[in-house]
Amino acid sequence: MSQAKEFDAFEARRLGSGVVLSVAGGAVGLVALIITARQGVTGWPFVIVFGLLIAVGEMVQFRVDPSRNRAPIATSASLAYVMLRGPAVGVPPEVAQIVAVTGLATLAGIFPRAIAGLPWDLVISSRRVLSVAFAAVTFELVTPDSLYWNGSWTHAVPLTGAMLLAVLSAGLTDALVGAGQDTERYNRPFPAALRDELAVMGRIGLAMGISGMLLAAGTSLIGLWAVPLVVVPLLLTQFAFRRFASAQRTYRTTVRSMARSTEIAGFSSPGQNARTATLAVAIGNDLGLTPARMEALEYAALLSGVGQLALADPSPGGASLLRTREERQRAAEIGASVIERSGVLDHVAEIVRHSNDPYRHGRASNADIPLESGIVNVALAYEQLVGEGNGQSPAKAMESIGLGIGAEYDPVVVESLRRVIGRGFRF
Amino acid sequence: MAVVAVSALAVLVVSLTQITFSLTTLALALLMLLGGALRFKVLPNHPAALDSVALVAVFVIAGPWTAVAVSVFGYVAQLRQPSPLVKRIFNPSYRVLAAGGGGAAYALLGGPVGSEVLDDIPRTVVAAMAGTIGHQLANALLLSLILWLEGQVRVVDFLKSVIGPTFLPMLGYSALGVLLAVTWIGGLGIASCLLVVGPLLVVRWALSQYQAERAAQAATMRAFIQVIETKDLYTRGHSERVSAGVGMLGRQLGLPEDRQNALEHAGLLHDVGKVGVPTSIIRKPGKLDDAEMDAIRLHPARGVELIGNIPFLEEVKSAVLHHHEKYDGTGYPAGLSGTHIPFFARIIGIVDAFDCLTSTRSYRPARSVDETLAILVQDKTTHFDPELVDAFVQVIQTQGWSAAAADQPAPDQSVQVSIDHDDLSLGTGGGASGSAAGPA
Repeated sequence: MSQAKEFDAFEARRLGSGVVLSVAGGAVGLVALIITARQGVTGWPFVIVFGLLIAVGEMVQFRVDPSRNRAPIATSASLAYVMLRGPAVGVPPEVAQIVAVTGLATLAGIFPRAIAGLPWDLVISSRRVLSVAFAAVTFELVTPDSLYWNGSWTHAVPLTGAMLLAVLSAGLTDALVGAGQDTERYNRPFPAALRDELAVMGRIGLAMGISGMLLAAGTSLIGLWAVPLVVVPLLLTQFAFRRFASAQRTYRTTVRSMARSTEIAGFSSPGQNARTATLAVAIGNDLGLTPARMEALEYAALLSGVGQLALADPSPGGASLLRTREERQRAAEIGASVIERSGVLDHVAEIVRHSNDPYRHGRASNADIPLESGIVNVALAYEQLVGEGNGQSPAKAMESIGLGIGAEYDPVVVESLRRVIGRGFRF
Repeated sequence: MAVVAVSALAVLVVSLTQITFSLTTLALALLMLLGGALRFKVLPNHPAALDSVALVAVFVIAGPWTAVAVSVFGYVAQLRQPSPLVKRIFNPSYRVLAAGGGGAAYALLGGPVGSEVLDDIPRTVVAAMAGTIGHQLANALLLSLILWLEGQVRVVDFLKSVIGPTFLPMLGYSALGVLLAVTWIGGLGIASCLLVVGPLLVVRWALSQYQAERAAQAATMRAFIQVIETKDLYTRGHSERVSAGVGMLGRQLGLPEDRQNALEHAGLLHDVGKVGVPTSIIRKPGKLDDAEMDAIRLHPARGVELIGNIPFLEEVKSAVLHHHEKYDGTGYPAGLSGTHIPFFARIIGIVDAFDCLTSTRSYRPARSVDETLAILVQDKTTHFDPELVDAFVQVIQTQGWSAAAADQPAPDQSVQVSIDHDDLSLGTGGGASGSAAGPA
């Protein structure tokens, strides 16, 4: 009963910021809409074309990294709409109108996805409305009305600087919000989450921003002709990204499937590898590892048992054959050499190799052994105690793991495990 | 070759007389240099430089003659790589001529130049597209000419595999060239490169990542298969050879690229379910009893269970499940017959049997390729799809088979009878008896 309650609290906390963000995005959009309705709309052709672009971009969003969808065309288009200044545009749109158009078009783009049953995410879209609003305010503040694309570098260079500032402010807003959400959702330390968000922003985010700048400059100079000229290359870019994203997904599921082979061979109980990996990932998040290290950690936890395949058959009933440390270390060594053979997972192999080393003889004296090995070691032990069929209570398992601190287990990792379990982590 | 070089030189000299030099010309040369340096794969396996994008921008900013003059700079980035003198002369020459082709198309359609551009955008866009097409065509023509002279690669293959697939993407990216020119004229000058290079770098990153992920997946699957094969010394390398064999047959049958990849994956993974068969049964010398045979018959289903979540084509899974079906319906697990057996499964069945017969087993030495082909032909109506057998025999006879050979263990003299689940009750003398070949 108390466990269920804890779980509910856990879930509610996850939703917290999402609700706040959606409400904030909606409120900003609504206010902007009202202001726009009272002031009247300027530049209808641009409203329609950019609105359409944002909506279509939202419709063709796709998943690039494991956890989130992206709509690069919508982002670029909305940022471009922020930064129009030039002979072909006439009166540039007001901040309120920019936000209203972005908000309405985003909703229009999500709607068909929701009807078709495709994945969509109101929170991510609200984040865009908010960061576009920030970009619009920044651009409005730093750009005097006299500045526009007139063919002279004295106007072009300051304008480009202003656009860069606007794009950066949007990126920074989104990174801060994203880091906050990561902290909340995965219990990552905020600085680590912010560092990762900024790294992503520096790559994909900046590219979307620069595409937006190109679209803005082009539209300012030659009007709506610039739209197809930017959108065609953007579509090609998106196509390249989709291929990449699907190859990445295929690879990830391949590793997961390979990991399940120990279950099919009877070396581990169903779901054991997946449970170990979930716990290892939770600990890694708590310790704020970088995305690359997180990925290696997950694979290592999934594949930690693969060395057993090269050993003899499991005993009937699937109980672990490997009772002694020497046997487990030998299996880990074999597993590591197997993983190494792929030639692309060297770091994973290194983690697996030391995943059964006791802390005192391993990491305590040899700094080359990765922290991740200690994480996998603890996750394996905890899963053995609590996982399906073994049925110890988390408190009891924590107690027996606590006995091994410093000798068997890395104190840093055990502390992290205690926090993770304390926050209500259950298999 | 000499003709190309001389005519390029002539065009270059004429262009130099047609243009006025200024700081802009220098900046444009820099732009071309950048375009040539930024090589990347427009599609996987199709490397191309982005000088086409830079070239279009130069058409629009300063006109075709300048473009021809500065096109030489697109080659500078390649100077780092060592190459024979002939190439050192030919490569910049054909660049000049290809740029000339593009420039001619641009001028023919009356593309505006410099500040006139902002007044006549539609014509600029149309002329720029024509310029790109002209550049690409001249490029393809010159390269085809060289390939034809060298006679190493067939021109048709080159056009089909390189020029064809990259044509439309290059046309799309050249739109960025027009925008580059517009922002350049709009006052940004050479700084406008920054706006264009950023997005292009991201495309390059995505494409290289795509390649890396694909390579990683292939390597991981292969490593994993090797682990499973450690269960049985005698089947080492079997999966990779089957994958290579079905690959040869697939190409013979002219499968499209995605299906060809899927077929090779299926060949590699067809026995993955063996991981669920106890090692003691796989290695057991002597005849297997019914229960042990049942355990072996489970392996196709186990394989599908294992790879079920991987987003392969559906054909990969059905091939793994049905690769032990036989044409006359006596195979397992479903007892399908004829063309009810999935196409890929029929292909794998043939190559699987072929590799098994040409490898050493504990109870017999390897058979020769010719002997094995004769066995396949002899049994082609009972076990296999006859048409596919004929195709396979033809492939092996024309291309040969890099046989198992090498590091195979010798047959174990002490073993009298044994059954390999892949071995067939084919031909005479040795091999498995009925029970391995399916229900009697």
